[in-house]
Amino acid sequence: MTDAAPAIFVALEASALGAAIRQSTWAYMTANVGHILSLMAFAGAIAVMDLRMMGVLSATSPGYILRMARRAAVIAFTGLVLTGLTLFIAEASHVVLNRIFQVKLGLIAVGLANIVAFEVWVTPKVQNLPPRTPLPKEARRIAITSIAIWFCVAACGRLIAYF
Amino acid sequence: MRRFVLPTAVVAGACLLAAGAFAHHGWGSYDAANPVTVTGPIQTLKFENPHAEITVKAPEKVWTVTLAPTSRMTARGASADIVAVGKTVSAYGYPSTVDRNEMRAERITVGGKTYELR
Repeated sequence: MTDAAPAIFVALEASALGAAIRQSTWAYMTANVGHILSLMAFAGAIAVMDLRMMGVLSATSPGYILRMARRAAVIAFTGLVLTGLTLFIAEASHVVLNRIFQVKLGLIAVGLANIVAFEVWVTPKVQNLPPRTPLPKEARRIAITSIAIWFCVAACGRLIAYF
Repeated sequence: MRRFVLPTAVVAGACLLAAGAFAHHGWGSYDAANPVTVTGPIQTLKFENPHAEITVKAPEKVWTVTLAPTSRMTARGASADIVAVGKTVSAYGYPSTVDRNEMRAERITVGGKTYELR
């Protein structure tokens, strides 16, 4: 616990929930494993969408691939947030001051903004295209950006422990 | 080539920020080249995740000794009643390069029995 953090994070860590997570034999460990499993599922789903938008698997219908992978990505992201919150609450006052964690949160915001851009500008143009149809240039651009951002987010997650 | 500019900028930016980040409290910041042995009575115990922690009143000062996750502590036999307050512990480990009063224990000895924590 460090009092250097904003009071709300000190209170969060000191809360009954924070203590329960730290003192449970299973909670922290389960959240940690769950975070990794959610990340695998999320990265897989995102990669399927991004690769399709980059022209891989071009014999498939883009609308179908996007719909199915998006569903998996949303479920996996929910898992990431829930397990991530569990890990965060246990050590809120330290983690919130960690520079890498702050970078990670910023990158997640950029990643989510990139998804919004994709859904607004690309999805309407590609969801009804038949297989083997060239995709608009911005589809590829946003897909490459997406992969780059989420890889950096994952790297930051692991790096929190080292800074 | 232009489509690689933005992602490359994102990666490079993240790496720069990572390199510039201050050393915080991570497992990288322990001086393995200068191990210490801290011996004395246990003053406080936090048998909590992600790492159990005790304070030890050594002759020279009070050390904060970072131990292992609670599940590993239990699995290795060093449960909460072994590292209880009042017991005398001898902890071999590595001093933090960030906090002069903290060390990370490689192994601890309590009541003549040694527990490996890594």
